Amino acid sequence: MRNVRNIASIFFILLLLLCFIILNQMVGDWGRASGGFSNLVSFFDESLWPPDWSVVEPRGYPPCESPELIDFTCSPAWIGIVETIRIALVSTVFGMVISLPIAILAARNISPAWISFSARLLLAASRSLPSLIWAILFVILVGFGPFAGVLAMTIYTVGYLGKLQYEAIEGMDGIPLESANSMGLSKIETSIGVVIPESANNLISQAIFMFEYNVRHGTVIGIVGAGGIGYEIKNNLSFLQYDRVFAYLLIIFVVVILIDLLSIYARSFFTEESDIDRPTWGGVFLPVGLSQVK
Amino acid sequence: MSEPSASVGSNKSSILDEGITAEDGPILFLENVEVGHSKANPLLVIPSLELQPGEIVSIAGPSGIGKTTILRTVAGIMSPLSGKMRVCQAKPPERPTRGSVGYIPQRLGLVRHASVWHNVMLGARAGHSTKWQIFNSVVSNHTKRAIESMGLSEKISEPIRRLSGGEQRRVATARTLAQSPKLILADEFLSELDEETMERVISEVVNYVRTSGCAMVLVEHDVSRAKQVSDRVLLVDDGRLNPFISSTIMVEA
Repeated sequence: MRNVRNIASIFFILLLLLCFIILNQMVGDWGRASGGFSNLVSFFDESLWPPDWSVVEPRGYPPCESPELIDFTCSPAWIGIVETIRIALVSTVFGMVISLPIAILAARNISPAWISFSARLLLAASRSLPSLIWAILFVILVGFGPFAGVLAMTIYTVGYLGKLQYEAIEGMDGIPLESANSMGLSKIETSIGVVIPESANNLISQAIFMFEYNVRHGTVIGIVGAGGIGYEIKNNLSFLQYDRVFAYLLIIFVVVILIDLLSIYARSFFTEESDIDRPTWGGVFLPVGLSQVK
Repeated sequence: MSEPSASVGSNKSSILDEGITAEDGPILFLENVEVGHSKANPLLVIPSLELQPGEIVSIAGPSGIGKTTILRTVAGIMSPLSGKMRVCQAKPPERPTRGSVGYIPQRLGLVRHASVWHNVMLGARAGHSTKWQIFNSVVSNHTKRAIESMGLSEKISEPIRRLSGGEQRRVATARTLAQSPKLILADEFLSELDEETMERVISEVVNYVRTSGCAMVLVEHDVSRAKQVSDRVLLVDDGRLNPFISSTIMVEA
């Protein structure tokens, strides 16, 4: 045992050393890095701070028709983030509908080897390009706007969610499958009657995770013109309006954290043994320890 | 080896008339069948076993000797390593008619997150509908009847994971009865029933087997319990399944 641990620590030290050597080669001149911190300070001071909150004010054109109290709904920030969330929602739902049959075909405990291999290949292919690259492709094909974003995110969702799904299906208890098989139920009947209900909790929990993931990544695809808040960020970046960009980033930060927390809460309903106690809202939002006070 | 057909008592001749006829041959036929996971190391050899309609046979013996493997082989989950085998007139790898084999594994194999109705319906579907039929009133009638016969009507929409162990076992039994199978394979069936409903479940199953001309194989580690319900008890010994003379105590059906 001692020997194994020694070898492991020597290996780790060598790996760390190797990474430093590679980093050194990539940086070349360390003098560049020395100015980094002061650069950050002056950049923050001159360009980022204070964030320009005019992004949450209604834009001039088209004229805002909402009542004054909720006129922030006409602001570019609101319109952008809502579009990002809508893209994420639509592409998660469509992606799940498409990926589930492929995932069942890809599961080795249900499908013969050659079918599961081809299905895995298909899923790997749609996962191999990040959604940003798919977005570039679809902007070329269908033009600017959220439709390109939906197509790009749907394809990426199919690949990513499909992999999670077939892993969940392969992890399910084999005995129900065996009984369905011995009864003589067809593969389709087994999939609908046994596989999907038995792994439903996992499938739903993964879809919620995927939605959260798509909201996070949906902020990026606007940069290539595929809709959402990223489009506003790109515009402001090209005009060097860093204070506006900073306001957008803060908004994204808050929204993504809120959706993360909502996702944790929603997924807690779909844990394997859903008879366990639900986390309280306090338990989700407050740091551990604070929420224990009742 | 005693001639297995000799052990079919005359009391079953009336059953033969209404259910499956004798011309169809035995429901289960095994000859020199080796079962196990690898050919080099078979777990168990079955020299000869024949099951006639209406017959209940128990396989008893110490645990870990391969009793469950016999059932899994007959159920078509594993293939036999060698020998002649026919299940409901089908010769592996050919599968018997859809729904004709009802297998109750020791761990039941129920869909835990689905309701009692859903689970029993799967069995009824296998026995009474084609692959592509979406809805069939015969299926729902059989489902309902099987659930009632197991006394589970009040739990019909409960998910399986909220039921007690004994209730789950009754759901699995209902699922198999809803299939109207020709051959029932039950793994450690008697030993895990709850005391209150044991009589009812056993009498329902035995009644079904006797009246419909179905055959049943029970795997039990407890010989005395096995003797109570079955016509013959086969003891697994030394890796071979030996049919030996049975006592014919039967539960009142």
